Amino acid sequence: MSSRTLPRLVWNVDWLDVLALGAWGVLMLHYWLSGRLGLLIHPNYFWLAIAAGFALLLIAGLQAVKLLFTENVPGVRHITLFPPGWMSGVLLVAAIAGLVITPRPFNSDTAIQRGLTDAFTVTRSRPQSFRATMRPETRTLIDWVRTLDVYPEPDAYTGQKVNVQGFVVYTPNLPDQYFTLTRFVITCCAADAYPIGLPVKLSQSRQAYQQDQWYQVKGQMITETLDNKRQLVIKADSLEAIAEPANPFAY
Amino acid sequence: MSLSNQFSSGFTLFLSLLVEAIPFLLLGVVVSGLLLLFVNERKLIALLPRNPLLGALAGSVMGFLFPVCECGNVPVARRLLMQGVSAPVAIGFLLAAPTINPVVMWVTWTAFRDQPEIVVLRVVFSLAIATLVGCIFGTQADLKPFLQPAVAAAMPRPPVVESSFLVSGSYLLDKPGQPLRLDASLPQIMPEAKPVGDRLKLLLENTVQELRELGGILVLGSLIAAVIQVAVPREVVLGLGQGPVISILTMMLLGGIISICSTVDSFFALAFASTFTSGSLLAFLVFGPMFDLKSLGLLLTIFRPRAMIYIVAIVAQMTFLLTLFVNLRLS
Repeated sequence: MSSRTLPRLVWNVDWLDVLALGAWGVLMLHYWLSGRLGLLIHPNYFWLAIAAGFALLLIAGLQAVKLLFTENVPGVRHITLFPPGWMSGVLLVAAIAGLVITPRPFNSDTAIQRGLTDAFTVTRSRPQSFRATMRPETRTLIDWVRTLDVYPEPDAYTGQKVNVQGFVVYTPNLPDQYFTLTRFVITCCAADAYPIGLPVKLSQSRQAYQQDQWYQVKGQMITETLDNKRQLVIKADSLEAIAEPANPFAY
Repeated sequence: MSLSNQFSSGFTLFLSLLVEAIPFLLLGVVVSGLLLLFVNERKLIALLPRNPLLGALAGSVMGFLFPVCECGNVPVARRLLMQGVSAPVAIGFLLAAPTINPVVMWVTWTAFRDQPEIVVLRVVFSLAIATLVGCIFGTQADLKPFLQPAVAAAMPRPPVVESSFLVSGSYLLDKPGQPLRLDASLPQIMPEAKPVGDRLKLLLENTVQELRELGGILVLGSLIAAVIQVAVPREVVLGLGQGPVISILTMMLLGGIISICSTVDSFFALAFASTFTSGSLLAFLVFGPMFDLKSLGLLLTIFRPRAMIYIVAIVAQMTFLLTLFVNLRLS
């Protein structure tokens, strides 16, 4: 039978499956190799995405071999909602969009939309212990916010040294001499990212510091009443513009 | 928020849902395909208890052996019924298998590490609802009036009701008094009769088909989640999401429409974790796998419309009451 030995390169709708699954395999590996997985998911799950990338390429390859070398016997079709080819088309379009358009990290607009200014925003994960022994200047922004969650008395921290990184958000409920130094925290993927931040008191108008620019802020903690709430504020002694970290999320 | 910012943030969200969910979808599809092709269902059925309550419970936890999501479970439940398992087992399996299985539990844990109560209550509520509905149908002496004629016809006859001489069809005389019906649907898919190579080919075919269908729906579901997140004003989302009753109804409606596979629906729910009540997230995670638009067509391959409406109504009410209790008492 020649049909069993010669590859049969005949286009039919089943090839869309090969393209769609293959494109998703390429996309996963592309995000891994270009270091963008961190923009999308928590590092705990990198290995899953990478393994899935390889597995999808393997499945696409096997399916291609099957289409090339076996006769096209209509198998048992599942009961489906859509005509054949539609769903593979949807998958393929999504993968191509992912390859063509580079995903961007969340910015200040998203931070405000996701409730940075809401009074009830606190970190969702409950710290296991209160690390009072930690030297203040080694705390990251999220360490500070978590410490505050555990012991929410701003005056307790007055005068402590601060050295943290984050990006600038002009929160509307703060006066012009303040911005909120912000980071996004994720536990699983960007879908559950939520913003945390602390107000930074500047020596001039915040217009001198562009929104979304990342800064290394050094200074000390003070307590002020802002937006009718007594809260912890970073009094900045120095602000150094830094490049956005390769992995902008905090965990 | 400017349009380009909205787009870029929505697009990142959309991709993150997919990149996180696709590995789990792949795992679920491959594992369920493997079990479907390599587990001998008939030996399993012989082990099931006859008591309606135990049967319903056994059916509900059978998802551990067939970790399928809601598109895989309907064909399996249909086949189980045709092979003569009791109604409580089949219905318990139908409703619980998409949730009570190791893959889905792992995914729910991945998504809701910070709220372990959601992971636990999802399992408890699904189990309770599936067992109860299974028991209710167990009180029915003859299930056939509820089933589609094709399914009813393929079911083995109750042994004492009628003489086998009066039943039409082709038979093999196997043991005295127990003729084997030849036109039952079981032998056509008896996987254990096929060589391993053929089974692996079937596995590939099954994997590609399920990935295509479920993956396509996952893409559309993620798109909807991303659009809701960035396009609907926060005040509106919070207004719907913070009311103890309205949040549950909204999420049940979303779960019914979006039809996202239960293997990955936790990630969809996660996108709403900061704005919706815990009870409503649970309602989505419990009700969605039991009934949605996608499974509507599949369910109608087993049940007549009247029976399906009964099942959906009971499931919806119980989900609502249980999750309302969570909203009012536990959080």
